[in-house]
This record gives sequence, C-alpha cells and structure tokens, in this order.
Amino acid sequence: MDEGSPSNGGQELGNTWWRPREMAFRPYSLQNEAQSLRVVVRKSLVARLTKDIVETYQICNPQFKFSEDLNPKRYLTTPSVGVLNDGYDNANSDLILSVNYALVNSETHRRYIVKDVLGHGTFGQVARCLDVETNSFVAVKIIKNQPAYYQQALVEVSILTTLNRKYDPDDKHHIVRIYDYFVHQRHLCICFELLDTNLYELIKINQFRGLSLSIVQLFSKQILRGLALLKDAGIIHCDLKPENILLCTSVKPAEIKIIDFGSACMEDRTVYSYIQSRYYRSPEVLLGYQYSTAIDMWSFGCIVAELFLGLPLFPGASEFDLLRRMIQILGRQPPDYVLKEAKNTSKFFKCIGSVHNMENDEVAMDGRSTYQPLTEIDYEAREMKKPLIAKEYFNQKTLEAIVTNYPYKKNLTKEDIIRESQIRLALVDFLKGLVEFDPAKRWSPFQALKHPFVTGEPFTCPYIPPLETPRVPVAQNIKVDHHPGAGHWFAAGLSPNVPGRNRFSLHNSPHFPVVPYAHGNSYGSVGSYGSYNDGTGLGSSYGSYGDSGGTFAYFSPMGPSGMNMHPQSGVSVLGSSPDARKRIIQYSHGNGLGVSPSAGMFVPLPLGTSPSQFTPPSSYGQVSAGSPGHYGPPSPARNSCHGSSFGKVAAVSHYNRRKSWGYSGNPQSQECSSSQQWQGQFIDNTSTVQAEGQGPSQLIGGSPSHLQSNPSAASWKQRGSSGITANSSAMQNMPSSSTRSSNIQVPHSAEAAHDKSEASQSLPDPGDWDPNYSDEQLLQEDGSDESCITTEFSKGLHLGLAESSVGVGRVNRISSTSSNLPTQRQNGPIQAFSHVEVGSPPSAHDPQAGFTRFMSKPSHLMPHNSQNSPSRLGQPPAQRFNYMRPTAPQGSEWNQNKFQPPSSFNSGGPRSPGSSSFNNGVPWGRRANNPISNIPPASRGRKDYGRIV
Amino acid sequence: MENSSQESHLRSENSVTYESPYQLYAMALSSSSASASRHQRIALGSFIEDFNNRVDIVSFDPETLSIKTHPSLSFDHPYPPTKLMFQPTSLRKSSDLLASSGDFLRLWEVRDSSVEPLTVLNNSKSSEFCAPLTSFDWNEIEPKRLGTSSIDTTCTIWDIERGVVETQLIAHDKEVYDICWGEARVFASVSADGSVRIFDLRDKEHSTIIYESPQPDTPLLRLAWNKQDLRYMATVLMDSNKVVILDIRSPTMPVAELERHKAGVNAISWAPQSSRHICSVGDDTQALIWELPPVAGPNGIDPMSMYSAGSEINQLQWSAAQPDWIAIAFSNKMQLLKV
Repeated sequence: MDEGSPSNGGQELGNTWWRPREMAFRPYSLQNEAQSLRVVVRKSLVARLTKDIVETYQICNPQFKFSEDLNPKRYLTTPSVGVLNDGYDNANSDLILSVNYALVNSETHRRYIVKDVLGHGTFGQVARCLDVETNSFVAVKIIKNQPAYYQQALVEVSILTTLNRKYDPDDKHHIVRIYDYFVHQRHLCICFELLDTNLYELIKINQFRGLSLSIVQLFSKQILRGLALLKDAGIIHCDLKPENILLCTSVKPAEIKIIDFGSACMEDRTVYSYIQSRYYRSPEVLLGYQYSTAIDMWSFGCIVAELFLGLPLFPGASEFDLLRRMIQILGRQPPDYVLKEAKNTSKFFKCIGSVHNMENDEVAMDGRSTYQPLTEIDYEAREMKKPLIAKEYFNQKTLEAIVTNYPYKKNLTKEDIIRESQIRLALVDFLKGLVEFDPAKRWSPFQALKHPFVTGEPFTCPYIPPLETPRVPVAQNIKVDHHPGAGHWFAAGLSPNVPGRNRFSLHNSPHFPVVPYAHGNSYGSVGSYGSYNDGTGLGSSYGSYGDSGGTFAYFSPMGPSGMNMHPQSGVSVLGSSPDARKRIIQYSHGNGLGVSPSAGMFVPLPLGTSPSQFTPPSSYGQVSAGSPGHYGPPSPARNSCHGSSFGKVAAVSHYNRRKSWGYSGNPQSQECSSSQQWQGQFIDNTSTVQAEGQGPSQLIGGSPSHLQSNPSAASWKQRGSSGITANSSAMQNMPSSSTRSSNIQVPHSAEAAHDKSEASQSLPDPGDWDPNYSDEQLLQEDGSDESCITTEFSKGLHLGLAESSVGVGRVNRISSTSSNLPTQRQNGPIQAFSHVEVGSPPSAHDPQAGFTRFMSKPSHLMPHNSQNSPSRLGQPPAQRFNYMRPTAPQGSEWNQNKFQPPSSFNSGGPRSPGSSSFNNGVPWGRRANNPISNIPPASRGRKDYGRIV
Repeated sequence: MENSSQESHLRSENSVTYESPYQLYAMALSSSSASASRHQRIALGSFIEDFNNRVDIVSFDPETLSIKTHPSLSFDHPYPPTKLMFQPTSLRKSSDLLASSGDFLRLWEVRDSSVEPLTVLNNSKSSEFCAPLTSFDWNEIEPKRLGTSSIDTTCTIWDIERGVVETQLIAHDKEVYDICWGEARVFASVSADGSVRIFDLRDKEHSTIIYESPQPDTPLLRLAWNKQDLRYMATVLMDSNKVVILDIRSPTMPVAELERHKAGVNAISWAPQSSRHICSVGDDTQALIWELPPVAGPNGIDPMSMYSAGSEINQLQWSAAQPDWIAIAFSNKMQLLKV
C-alpha cells in the first residue's frame, strides 16, 4: 500500500477515491521511536468499562451491586419448570439446563459449561458444553434422573469405555470417544467428543439424493472398521442407522464415527427383543430370533443402500410392511431354520409344510419353504386390523433393479457411466451379502471389508467371502505345543470344548483367547484359538447350527484365506495375509510374555463379561450362529487393543512398549511386517497411546500379570484420576496381579469416589443382579430355551471377543474421496441460530471445537470394567444376568441434531447468503433464517425408536 | 455560544486539542444536520473513580479551529459514562438529544444554554442490583430506536419516544460489550463469549454468528459496522493489538487482521466517507488509518498513516458531520485531527 499521498486530497468527496491526507497524520513507518517496548501497566479504560465494569463501578460506589444470578436465563430444556428433584428437574425428569449452567464432576472438579442443547430423547438430553479445563467443546449426555435410564447409561459407559480403551486406544476405528462421566444433581452425565452432523442430515442436505459412490464406499469402509471392532469386542450396537453415524469434519473431511451405544449390549447378553430402529431392523429381531452382531451388519447394509439411494431401503411403516418389503426387494425370505425357531414367525408367516420336513435343516432340497408369508388379507384376518403399509419409494422391485436403475448424475460422460455402472454392480453384490436373511450367511465386517466395493478392486464376479473360522472354546488347560503359526489352528481345532465352557466362565475370559498371542508358545495356541472360537459361530452359520461338532469342521481349511478378513482369529487359521500371520506369530514368541493363562483369564473383560456371561445359553447360541467367525487379529497391536482380559492387558502393555521403547526384537519386526499404514497409524497415535495412560510404570511390569494391572491402574493413577479409576483398575486386576493392584488401590481408596465407583461399576456386574430375575428375562426375551444346544459354543464365542480384529480395514484406506465430500458444513461454527429471545429455545452453534482433545483427556475415561470385578470370579458360571434395561432408553437421538449444518452459510445452498457474490450488497442476508438445527430429532418422523418404553 | 469562555490554546493547522480537568473516556460528536447553524458539539464524559462524574459539552468551529467550552452545558453523571451519543438525526430544531449509558440509559436534551435530563430508561426489575450497560447505539434510520448492550448477556431495544422496551434479547452467552446497528431492524453485538452475532428484529428466534474469537471465549470489546458498506464490520479482541475485519458473507474467517498496533487496540471507527478506510487507536498511543486493499498481501496490511498522541488513546470518533476530522481522547485530552 502506498502511503496516502497528499495528491489525493482533492478527491476526498468521492467515496471511492477518498484518501486521508497527511495533515495531522503522517505516513506510516515501522521505525517508530521506542514505542515497541511500550508497556501498559494499567488496564485500558475500554476494558475497565466493559470486562471490568462491575469492579470499576464498585470502586466508584461501594454500594454498587451486580448479580449474575439475576441475568435472564436462556433455558435450554423444556419444560423449564422445576418440579422434581428439588426443582432441578422438570416433569420429565430432565435436568433443567440453561446457558452457562455448570455440570460438575464432583470428584475431579472438572466443570462443563452448558452452551447449547444438541438434542434430546427418551434417555435425556445432549448438551454442547465447554470443558473448562481444556477450553474446548464436548458433548455431554445428561441422563434422566430415573433408575432405568441411569442403569442403561451405565451400560453405555461401560461398553464405550471398553471399546475406547481396550479395543481402540488409537481411535482408529470410528467409534465415538468417551471422555468422562459423573453424576451431577442425580443425573448421570457422560462426556463425549463433539462431532458434527449425522448421515441422515447429510442426506437431507443433499435433498435426499444419494451420495456419490466414492463417498458411500469411503463411509462403508469406515463403518465396517467400527463394526469389526464391535464384533471383536462381542458388542452389538443394536441401533445402527444413519442418525447414529456422525461426521467428524473438524478432524478430517470425510471421517465418520459411530455413536450412541445407549442400546448396545454384549453379544452374550442379548436381553431385549425389541431393538433396532424399524427401517434398519434385522429379520432376526423382527422375527424374534436369537441375534448377534450380525444384526448390525443388516443395519449396515440398509445404511449403505440408503447412502446411495438417498432413501431408506426398507421404509416399513410397520413390521409387517417391513418384512414384506424385505421379501419383495430381496426376492427371498428368511431361512426355515430361523422361522422354525423364531418367536414371532406366526405373526408373519403361515406354516404350510409338515413339521417333519423341518427336521432337516433349512429348506427342503426342492428349495421350497415350509413357511409362506402372510398376505395382507391373512394378516388382517389374524390381527383384526389392516397392516400399515407405506408407499413405495422405488419403481423397481428388486435390489438389483433399484440400484442399477437409480438415476445417474447429470453430466456424466459415457465412460463415467460405464465405470459407475460397474461399481453399482459391485454395490449390489455387496448389499446382497449384507442384507442377507440368513444371519449365519450374512457377511461379517471382516468379510465385507474385503469386498471389491470396499477395496475398490474391479468387480468381476460375485464375491465369495473367505470363510471365517468358527470359534471354539478353548480351555485353558489345553496346551498345545505347536509352532505358533501352524500350531494355532490345530490347537484351536482341537480344543473344542464343551468342557471348556465351565472353565471359561470361571476365568471369564472370552478374551482369553487373545492372550495366547501375547504368550506365544505356551498358550499361544489357546489364544489363537480364541479366535477360533469365534469362528464357531461360523460353523453354525454354515449350516451346523447349534452343533459344536459342526463347528469345528469349518475351521482350518479356510483359514488362510479368511484371515485377512478376520483379523481376529486370524492368526492362526485364517490369516489370509501372510504378513499378519507372521506378525502374530512372531509376536507371541517374541514377547515371550509368559503370561500364565490363568492370569489371563481373570483379566478384565471388556464389558461385563463375567463368568455368567457364558451362561445364557441362548445368547451364546446366537452368537455362534450369527457370528461367522472371527479371525485372528492380524496385527499384534490389535490384540493388545482388544481386550480379552488377558489379551487386552497384554496388548496394552505392548502399546506402551512400542511407544516408549520401541519394540524389542520380534515385536518390532512384526510391526514392520505389518502394513505400512499400520505403522503410520502408530506414529500418529503416539500421543494417544500415551494418553491412554500407559505410563512407564506399566512398562516396567515384567510379568504379564503386572502388565495387566498396570495399564489400567497405573495409568490412571498417573493421571491423577480420582479414586474411581483407581478402584476400577483394581477391580480389574486379577488375582494374580493382586499385589499390584492393591497398591494402587490404596492411595485411592480413601477417596469418596471409591464407593460410588464401585457401586456404579458393579451395577452391570452380574453379581449384583438377581440371577433369577435375569434368568427369567433371558428366557423370555431370548428364548434361550431354544438354543440350548448352542450354549456350548457360546464359550467359544467369548473367546472371540478377545479378538482384535480391527486392523484389517485399514490397509485399504482410500483417501482420495475425502475431498469429494459434499458436506459443506464443515465450517460449522457459523450456525448461529439461536440466539434468541429470552427464554427461547436452545440453539446450537459451533460444533466444532472439541474434538481433538480427546487425546489429552483420556485420563478421564474411567475404566469401567466393572464386570471384571473380582467378585465375579467366584460366581457360578451358570448364573445369568442381564443388564436390566427396564426401559428402553434410546440414546439414538442424541447426536443427531448436534450440528446444524451451517451449510446454509458456506455451502451456498439456496438459503445461504454465503453464496451470494461479493457484489451483492446483501450484507446480512438473512441467514439467520436457517431453520436449522434445533429441530428435535423426533420431529423428523424418521426416527423410529422401536423400543418399547 | 454566548457563554463560550475560553479557547483552546493548543492548536495548529491540523489539530486542535482540548484539555479537560479530568480523564476522558466517552465522547460524542453531534450530527451535522442538526448542527448546521451551529458549530459541532462534542460531548465528553469523564472517567473518575467516583460516583460523581461529569459530562461536558464543547463546540468546535472548523473555520477558526477553535474549541469553545460551555460551562452551562456541563452536568453531573452517575458513574463514568460508558458511551455518549447524539441522536443521529435530530428531530428537534432547537436542541440536540444526547444519550448516555452507564448504570442505566439516560436521555438528555442539550439546549443552547442548558442540559435537561429527560428520562432514565431502566429495564431492571431489581432495585438493589444493577446490570450496567456497556454500550449502546442509536439507529440512524429509526431515530426513535436505540439498542443497549449489558453485562447481563442481553441487548435491549428501546423505543425512546415512548420510553418503552421494544424487545430484550438474550443476545449472548456472556456479557455483551458492544452493539451496533446495521439497518433499521438489524443489529450486531459482541460479547465476552467471543462471538459477533447479527440479530434481526423480524426474526428474534435466531441470530447469526459471524465470527468467533480463536480462543473460545476471548472477549470481543468493540464492534464497528461499516456504514458505507454493510458487508464489513470490525471488531477488537480484549488485550489484542489486532483489528479484525469481518465480511459477514464469509463467517468465521476474518477477511483481514490489522496488526500494526504495538499494544492493545481501544477503539475503532470506519471512515464516514469511504468504505475502505478505518481508523484505530490503542494503548500504543497511536492512531492508525488503514486502507483495506482488495486483497490482503502475505505480510499483512500496513496502515496508510499514523498519528502519535502523548499517551494511550482511549477513544475515537470519526463523525459524519465533519469527515475531515477525527476526534481522539487520551488522558485528559480530547484532540481533533484533520485527515
């Protein structure tokens, strides 16, 4: 800029050409005296009359009084009249929030200042809060002050904590991070990372037109990674839908995360029969059949289709309509073996065959089913009412036709169309493996991850997924000397055991299997088997339903190929990818952590896995049936993440080592062998890991047991977390590690938190529940009776839990698409809405903020391995329990609203002024009008909380 | 002007200085239209750490470059006024309407030889407690409309003709520090919550955040809306040497940050006659005039010209009535600078 020259002086009248002359002013120059060092000691007057005006006025007049409490409150909760809980709660038992209300973790004194409400649901509310300590934003779920919601939320805390800490310490698996939880004014508050908009909103912004295939593929892969983790952990999300998948645009342009574990359950505790939002409800759930993690894969298939189509694939107005659509679009019906056992079959089908035929598994050889779907007329006759049938969205009747005939984007070249049509064929094939009626044949996340649609490989012929190894329960006592590599499977195969069951329960180590990895030889086999065990499910899926015998048959052969897909069991058996396998093997040997199996067994299970877990036969059975197999974890790291008790712990320790010391010999090599990506991740994650709190002390622990105890306990301690953590850690520790744990406990035990934490943790603990009660429930809800046979397998399943499958997906990561994301809303902060008149409803803005910080905060995560509490060990295996989920709080809503896509602003959407060119004079455009955000999810009509509340 | 007493002794071709008995903070220049027959009036508010403060009215004659004081036009004011402002378009022939903010909003009628307190506008329901007003702005298009900003997080829109509250909005999550009208029904405000928000009285359910300070909740102290080009506004962060220039069409990303002050910026004012010029003053004793380039260069923007005062400059007014003159206040001095 040239310094204002006097020559312009004459033009001052012209607006455009006016320039200041140098009259009193002189040209700007840098070398200005010594003023650069000018120190201003006194507060500026402007600050004294704004920021400090109260102090200033009090100096002027000591009588001056200002009270912040008298500020008009902007209530965020409606109704805002306090009628319950000493006036803190409204009639719905929701805590009455207003802007700047402080939620306080009384143990850590950490404060969360409420800024907005992001959404609300039956469970309570979700608020965007400022975490004062880190000065960043988080999402806090404030649970209703009612025991049922409280309990269920504890389950969510437990599940998420386990998933985060044990299975996904590096935050690579697209699962929302939990940062903290505490009770405030009798409300359980759960603190999560703050994410952006959900996929439903994204589609809506796109005017219900499908997203581009590259984005569908990208999201699919990420969701699958999350589901792979869930499968490894033996956790069923139970409410997967677009609303529960959120963008985290502030971190990466096209990264998504799965949220809302408020309905999630352990695979072996499938207590509720009425789960999943209707459009995404799996046939098993619909029919009242035992279910497993496969139900999430069904939902996932529905989501993938919806991302592509922009509309739900099965928008059933009722369950009858839902099933009708499934049958129509898929051109088949659920397999007879399912219909035979399912509780609700009679609501939708009539039996036209003899019971006799049904003895043979599945459909008779001629392909005809014994069951025939009820027609609308049949239904009406039976139910005395017409079924609700919604209109059809698609002209085409079949899945293939719907996808292939979906309109192409305009302006595509012929080549583009040809290319896309090929990908669409891959998509059809992909979907067919996901929305598969037979839960046993439905692909697992690992299998799906290898599909050409996900990997981007050219699609040439229908995809045949590698089989997954069945999981077989491995008894600890089974020792197999083997070469790590080969030995594993054999061992696995060998270890079949029914007997194992009891033991398992004792050790309560579904995870147990993992351990072996770490241990290499001695138990290695076991561990690897653990994965096998998972496989068991497979076995069933492939036909041998309940029979353990059948199961085994499936293992081995497949192994190698399968492996890629299923990192879990991978190791031995399946490991399709040589690297992975190799790694694992090495790992086990290399570390030489001689963990004693027993120790492992006691290790904390991820989520309440207590011996009792094993008990519910039905659930097991389901699992096995449903879960096609878990393959061993390809990378050692994964193992660590996961959590079998043992495995996890051990794993953890591994992490630590890596980070801090790097690996010693073998382990390193393993790393190397693993894919580069993996390594890269590591690097990235370093901080995280550390955050996870694996302190040096942990590293020190030479004995496996120590390792176990350390990660949890030590780390917490370091962080200075409250007694709760300490406790929990202590609880986690198994007997073997007791010394350590005890130490840890001591310091913390004094804290008040202690009791509480214990209590809270214990809630999920089977021991605390009335076994009888749960039994009944299980029976009722799960129809466990039917599946007795399968029970045996169940043990095996647990083993599966331990698997760490996660890593698989990563290899293929496609980064290219990310830029394409349609989401304009990345710029989130703008959304301002609200602001509002006094008393007006909540607004949400600036969603962004808080993500990153989770790394630093891990400390707040509490270990909730309540299930692991020692007390359980003693429990008789037979016990069953469930988390009582009395009401069905649906957490699902919470994030949905989270973020109002500021799209209007940035995107240049119709409403957005932003799009206006500079020339437009419209300065402020009314962007304020964006309707945004505050729409309660419920209003969308889309939500289908299927639950019975 | 009959009672004009003394002339300022400090003056030159390009600047005139007035010395007050006390430290000055609030400052207002009368609008040209109302004062066509008179010299421009300048209201000066004291900053005295006492309940009793003063507002003095002086007049400036650009022809003779003289400032005349009018002792009869001085009056007591409770607490240091946070802002003084003459009604932009005077509805009265013989007098000016002056508003002041502090503990409450007050209206004063400035006649030729006296100042009459008109009303005290108080929207508080408590007599014991008071939420001070940090600023206000008079709507140029609707001269009966005046908006105040308060540390109670609200903005209150007054109909001063009827002396009633038109509306009160919880504008921010924290104290509101400044308010500025853009159109007849559109205003913006800044707050301790670090945001700049735009409100439209026709849609009170929503506001638009067009900027948030980088550190969550770094207070924004001052706001100036470019009346020549409403796409732009400028804001000042607390304890910052930056003037942040915003384009309301591209929220969140400032179009420019002017960072040549060497200490905190205390006041900003857009040129009344140009859409591209803005003046800022700060604790570095400098007044800087900036010209916004069409595109900011990589090294930031240098001001066009500068002026150094003797001490921290606390106040700045660039009145439409006398676009050639910028008024600044520092220490106990008010200075008019020709540009």
